[in-house]
Amino acid sequence: MAAGEFALRSAEALAGGASLEHGLVEQCRRGDAQAFARLVALHEGMVFNLAARLLGDPEEARDAAQEVFLQVYRTLGRFEGRSTLKTWIYRIVVNHCRNRQRWWRRRRKDRSCPIDALTPADEARLAEHGPRAEGPEERLERRERARAVQSALLQLSFEHRAVLLLREVEGLSCEEIAGTLSIAEGTVKSRLSRARDALRGSLAGRQELQ
Amino acid sequence: MIACMRARRQLSAYMDGNLEARPARRVALHLDACPACGARWRSLRSAVAMLAEAPRLECRDLISTRVGDRLEVETRSAGLALILRPTWKARPLIFPSLIPAAAVLVVVLGLAFVLDRDHDPLPAVVTRGAESWGPTAASGTESNPLFLSAEVSAPRVRTAAPINDLLAALGEESLFVETVVARDGSVSTVTLLGGDSLQAGPLLEALRHERFEPGRRHGRPVAVSLYRLISRTDVHAPVT
Repeated sequence: MAAGEFALRSAEALAGGASLEHGLVEQCRRGDAQAFARLVALHEGMVFNLAARLLGDPEEARDAAQEVFLQVYRTLGRFEGRSTLKTWIYRIVVNHCRNRQRWWRRRRKDRSCPIDALTPADEARLAEHGPRAEGPEERLERRERARAVQSALLQLSFEHRAVLLLREVEGLSCEEIAGTLSIAEGTVKSRLSRARDALRGSLAGRQELQ
Repeated sequence: MIACMRARRQLSAYMDGNLEARPARRVALHLDACPACGARWRSLRSAVAMLAEAPRLECRDLISTRVGDRLEVETRSAGLALILRPTWKARPLIFPSLIPAAAVLVVVLGLAFVLDRDHDPLPAVVTRGAESWGPTAASGTESNPLFLSAEVSAPRVRTAAPINDLLAALGEESLFVETVVARDGSVSTVTLLGGDSLQAGPLLEALRHERFEPGRRHGRPVAVSLYRLISRTDVHAPVT
């Protein structure tokens, strides 16, 4: 297949995805419960992962994800379609997690439990996602790496963490992040630079300790 | 070659391919030539790769189910429609909560019934609204007399009560009396505010027969309250 043909097909797929998304949103606005269930099922993994990384606590992330979708349901009428639905949901997730963290701080309940957060079920799931030929040592190393990353993430400020996750984990462009967080693109780039450097410093310090 | 600080500041943009060709080439050359910056670049790429490759965390429960349950509870029609709908339409989470609620209601009603039978009923409380007090009388009338002030002149005695003998019978006792002088100069009411009421009886009766030049407000006669302290004072001739 030629590169031009591939690009054309990708554009068609994107357009198809956008129209599917538009249809789903319209169905949800008309009160179609099944359509909303489909919308939740489509995005719940992304919402939970982002919330868990931002908050550092799976239980909190589960509650946050639930609240996010309830807010999506209530405010879907205000979604104007200027951004993609996914970007719009990202914005709700980040705002909700930011408020939740402020709430914790006010009550001095700020906590981070990246290590305890991984239950045996999580670890089993991580093992499933790993390479087939992975031995126990590699699995342990991968688990330690995942913990180190989450621990380093939680040392960053919330704003730096959000920018970094949206860029590196969710794969948003700087322009999309700027739209999601309602900040200038230049601010996104400078925050991203500082956040990457802080993550590097934190992980490098951890490796030196070991 | 550019300085280390400048190169390090541009690493993030270099990583994203946001630098133009010439600055990007300068950064690349610097990273090749400077071991410290080269190491920093490698550790930066490694840290970002570790984050990007970290496994996605997944929720143990289906969030869509939880959200669906919450939405159904929030949007469910209230009142009788909730109770009278078919059993098979009820969500399992609402029925268990109705049963203890009904049990608590039955117990409370039963207790109220038993306690009500054991005790005599309390006397009925009769409440009356403000309208039952009747309309407030106009100020300056006998029912609503005025007090002395700069605007209200004091009534002057025209016919004093013959109270000298009565005062003698009073002894050392003092009486504090309110007299309402009516608009026609007669005494409307006499009220003993302080003192022995038994001894004061004849004196109060005498005071009711006093006659006054009525008090006036803006030239018109008005009913006025007078407060008087009545006591006996013995006056002796000076010793010469």
